[in-house]
Amino acid sequence: MKLKLFIFLSIGIGIGLIFSLVTYYGLHKTSDQKFCVICHEMDPMVVAYREDVHGGAGKLGASAKCVDCHLPHDNILKYIYTKARNGVVEGSIHLFGDPSKIDWIEKRAHRESFVFDDGCLECHGNLLSTQTSSKQAQKMHKHYQSLKGTDKEIHCASCHIDAGHQNMRNTLNYYTPEFEIMKEQMKEKKSEIQEKYQHYGIQKEK
Amino acid sequence: MKQRAQNIFVALCLSLCFTLLPLTLKSGEVTSSSPDLKGRETVTMTQEFKEKYPLKRVHAKLSLECLFCHDGQGNNPEAFKAVREKTCLECHGSKEKIAQRLDFIGKPNPHNSIHDGTRLSCDECHYEHKASINMCAECHEKEIATNMWMRKTP
Repeated sequence: MKLKLFIFLSIGIGIGLIFSLVTYYGLHKTSDQKFCVICHEMDPMVVAYREDVHGGAGKLGASAKCVDCHLPHDNILKYIYTKARNGVVEGSIHLFGDPSKIDWIEKRAHRESFVFDDGCLECHGNLLSTQTSSKQAQKMHKHYQSLKGTDKEIHCASCHIDAGHQNMRNTLNYYTPEFEIMKEQMKEKKSEIQEKYQHYGIQKEK
Repeated sequence: MKQRAQNIFVALCLSLCFTLLPLTLKSGEVTSSSPDLKGRETVTMTQEFKEKYPLKRVHAKLSLECLFCHDGQGNNPEAFKAVREKTCLECHGSKEKIAQRLDFIGKPNPHNSIHDGTRLSCDECHYEHKASINMCAECHEKEIATNMWMRKTP
């Protein structure tokens, strides 16, 4: 009886461990820009990310991964579910839809729905109570806290409009110009940054 | 039989512990405190004032309060003075930073144009409590009217 239980438990633990390991590596390997840039509609975002301090442009080269900001971090099940759902939805748009029709510049207005505060606070853990940030920062972060939970709630990305992707409106314009008159100029800029960031998987167009 | 019931009881207790533990940890965290406004002037925002001094869409969305900008100007909105550029830049950083955001526009970049560089004052074009204007249109009437380089001044 005891032996049976032991074998049963061992097999169970074994399967559990293998399953966890596969899940862990699966999540890990599909979380950074190396993976996300495989879909080349992400090129302008990756370039702007690389120019930002969150993308390793700082002195020490520290960088956050795509999922650190763009997935919820309050609950592991929610994290995995959102990741899986995004994977399916975005993957099918890439394969069967027409990603060139997406208006990325307009999409920035909905940033609060795809940048998660708990992601920011995972690294900036002491931000809301620190006394060492500037007076203005402390004032506005208090404002953030006072609105939390009300119907006027604001999010990190409400004010920090391009945190993570420095001056992204520029790079988005290089790929899809907002103004007809700048088309040629933007083309030049585009090949310039494609050259510069080729080693990050940015595709060079002919 | 008694043994079995005891086992089930222990198992239940254990699972309860594991589910409750994260909850207790969460409740231990510091909850958000309201801003400390002790000793500071406050403005009671009436409907009348809201209509008289509407905020820009982006600023209204952030529920900015009068005194965030009109700091140290008392508590009567009627007596408030226009704020200095320094106040705008407390949130918006620097003129160079703002110019960088529209860098793709190139020569006609309103925040770094070939005429004025980054020297213009914010309130040449941008107003908070009334519609903004586009100073470039004083000469470049057609280009601005057709949104050739830029959209409506926010």
